[in-house]
Amino acid sequence: MDEAAVVVDSLVKRFTAKTAVAGLSFSVAAGEIYGLLGPNGAGKTTTLRVLAGILTPTAGSARVAGIDVAADPLEVRRRLGFLTNTTGLYPRLTGRELLDYFARLYGLPAADADARVRALARALDLEPFFGRRCEALSTGERQRLSIARAMLHDPAVLILDEPTAGLDVLASRFLRAFVRAERDRGKAVVFSTHYLAEAELLCDRIGLLHQGRLLAEGTPGHLRAAAGDAPSLEEAFLRLVAAADGAPDGAAEPSP
Amino acid sequence: MKLREVRLVAAKELRETLRDRRTLAVMILFPLVIYPLVALITAQVLAARVTRVESHVSRVAVSGPPALSAEVRRRLAAPDVALSAGATQADLAAGRVDAIAAVAPGHPPAVRLAYDETREESSTARGRVEHLLEAPAEGARCAPAFAVVSAGIAPRAQMSGYLLSKILPLVVVVMVMLGAFHPAIDITAGERERSTLETTLSAPIDRASLMGGKVLAVATLASLTGALNLASMSLTVLEGTRLVGSDLKLAIPWLHAALAFAVIPPTAFLFASLMVAIGALARSFKEAQTLLTPVYFLCMAPALTAGLGDFRLSGATAWIPGVGVTLLARDLILGRASLGAALAVLGSTALYGAAALALAARLYDSERLFFTDEASLGLGAWLKHVVRGRAGREPGAPGEAADEPPTAGQALALFAVALLLLFLSAPLEKWRLDPGLLIFDWVGLLGLTSVYARGRGQRLAQAIRFRAPSPTAMVGAILIGLSAWAVVGLIADAILPPPKEVTEALRRTITPPEGGRGLAATLFLMALTPAICEEALFRGPILRGLRARFSPAVAVILTGILFGIFHGDPWRILPAALMGMVLSGIALAAGSIVPAMAAHFLNNACLVVLARLHADDTDALTAHTKVLLGTLSALILSAGIYVMRRAAKTRRGM
Repeated sequence: MDEAAVVVDSLVKRFTAKTAVAGLSFSVAAGEIYGLLGPNGAGKTTTLRVLAGILTPTAGSARVAGIDVAADPLEVRRRLGFLTNTTGLYPRLTGRELLDYFARLYGLPAADADARVRALARALDLEPFFGRRCEALSTGERQRLSIARAMLHDPAVLILDEPTAGLDVLASRFLRAFVRAERDRGKAVVFSTHYLAEAELLCDRIGLLHQGRLLAEGTPGHLRAAAGDAPSLEEAFLRLVAAADGAPDGAAEPSP
Repeated sequence: MKLREVRLVAAKELRETLRDRRTLAVMILFPLVIYPLVALITAQVLAARVTRVESHVSRVAVSGPPALSAEVRRRLAAPDVALSAGATQADLAAGRVDAIAAVAPGHPPAVRLAYDETREESSTARGRVEHLLEAPAEGARCAPAFAVVSAGIAPRAQMSGYLLSKILPLVVVVMVMLGAFHPAIDITAGERERSTLETTLSAPIDRASLMGGKVLAVATLASLTGALNLASMSLTVLEGTRLVGSDLKLAIPWLHAALAFAVIPPTAFLFASLMVAIGALARSFKEAQTLLTPVYFLCMAPALTAGLGDFRLSGATAWIPGVGVTLLARDLILGRASLGAALAVLGSTALYGAAALALAARLYDSERLFFTDEASLGLGAWLKHVVRGRAGREPGAPGEAADEPPTAGQALALFAVALLLLFLSAPLEKWRLDPGLLIFDWVGLLGLTSVYARGRGQRLAQAIRFRAPSPTAMVGAILIGLSAWAVVGLIADAILPPPKEVTEALRRTITPPEGGRGLAATLFLMALTPAICEEALFRGPILRGLRARFSPAVAVILTGILFGIFHGDPWRILPAALMGMVLSGIALAAGSIVPAMAAHFLNNACLVVLARLHADDTDALTAHTKVLLGTLSALILSAGIYVMRRAAKTRRGM
């Protein structure tokens, strides 16, 4: 059987005085949207940074497209598109300049890069503001440009860290539609958010993260059932957290 | 405007600002430590230069009618003037004589004094001759004995070059530094503030390439700043002299001035790498400015010293960062740079730049950059933190929390206070050397260490790890103490040989010419006192604090460098730093400060004995003796290090 696009196995990430991720395991298949859900400080961003090869695991392992992130972080970065939770665009470059710069960093041949930039500009409706500096763009425009930046090299895996934070309803809907379309094209998508309703709308499977551990994992319906037929994902999350806090050692067993 | 609200806002702003330890560090440490340090080193270098120029015997040639010449010669008979006859202007230009006095009959007789204004020795000779000849003749109350007319012989281009060589190198180096300053902050700390760091780090590019690109950008901007300043200043000088009039017009040595551009790229690379490395440490624009401002001034010090002093660009000076490029720029403008020296300067500067770039790549570490939380501290808690190491922590159970080592920040703060004490004690030592030294060491340094230990709720012996060492460690320390001085001395002498006056001054300190201090008293003052007091501070909390933050090797090197700087005198920095590293290695290996104290005592005792025997002048040694001494000392030192390493295997933690 082929290995899943993303495989996280017993991942631990410890900083000097704090353990951000404490033995996390999950996998994401090609053509699947996996949501990492949890409150602030649960370890979502740290996990995504490890997957993106920005941070090194303290223990355990993470593989992206079959490559170990600790062994070859550069190759991992070539295989994935990472959307940070701040959009992180260079304010003094125009949208066009930014995409050209990253296309060259990803080593795309000039002709391919040009075609790819045009295609993304059309798909994400970037043309109206393509010549403007990033510092002059609205939040929605910046987020669309960021997605284009992360998609430039057509990666097999997309990692999106709270991509809808700060977006209005229309922009959020546009983004969700885009992510679904990419999933349908066979991409593996890891999507972190603390908006539970959004995760329910978008994700095929969800991992509930609390204090660096996986409380539960499964489809939204499965998670509600696991929490005693909770009326919503939010209620399910609260019940699972309360149960875990009641048993200090007790990270819930991940569901199959 | 309501006064109550003004007070409220002011109190809140002050509270916030004073909670920023870096602001406090710059506010307090900068004026109290950096300025005096820079001033002290610069003053010592300039004093050494003045001493050298003044101790030079002026070579003066006298010509003219025999009777008048004889009178001139009689007047010029002084200890600092050596007379000769029959020199030409070519001899003066080539530096074979310092001045030519041509006397002619008259009332009073006229002396035409030729000198070379581009050489300091020649200008000094002019001053001496004028002073001696213009004094009234015996019997005449006020009329001068001779009418002296002095005339410089340097051609205009040479004179212009001389003036430019005094100004341009310093301006170029300072402007290159200034050109690197803000871009370095913008592309490091600025990137973090703009939240683009994660985007950058998620791209498939290795850190060395990333930092190489950043440094190249900063170096380019710094080079442009330097080049624009050099061009602008040269043109301003030219245009300025045109406006003033033809009499003052200077002939600019354009080709030479243009050659000075050659120092800009390596200088820019060096400062760009250094500033980017330091900028990479900062978490915000403001913090980067705080960190880089002292570095800017510290970098300026060598350039300033080289610009003001009349140093030769030789093997040693070519390798000192900042000094080499300044001297090379000067020599290029004067048209006297040699290819070998130029290559040494450009090569060493590029090498230091590459080392700083490697450091920058190491420091731009995503692990560190993404984990920067620091507990905020109240002012009261901060003061406790300075003494105790952590906010609000009370002294713990004896032998538990109390045994925690100091932090690196505390180690540096202690060093800063020790430097301050050094400056403050200078007048005391100048007034009376022996009591001054005793007060500084026993009250200042040991007192500082004691106060620090008490603040942490520890006994002094506990804070400095004063405990019984293993016999093996003591044997190793004795071997090292008996031999390291020779190896360190020969290395320092080969890299940066001190001028004779400096060795003489040191010998006079150890054995005052007026006598009155016996061997035992000298050993107590010069060997035992520093072995206890300096070791207690440097191999105590400073080494332990740095070791708590860095690897053993880095802690040893850093402590050695601080120990070198602490010795103030530029010529003693290198040997003291090397010795400091040796002593730090001993303390860490032994897990006790006692062997380091023993080695320090033996080292200084050897130097005291040698100075009293007048056997400390390495120039007096033949090459053969040097090789023999070096080999023998190196063998004993190696044996000492071997024994220390064995002791380290059974050591207790430092």
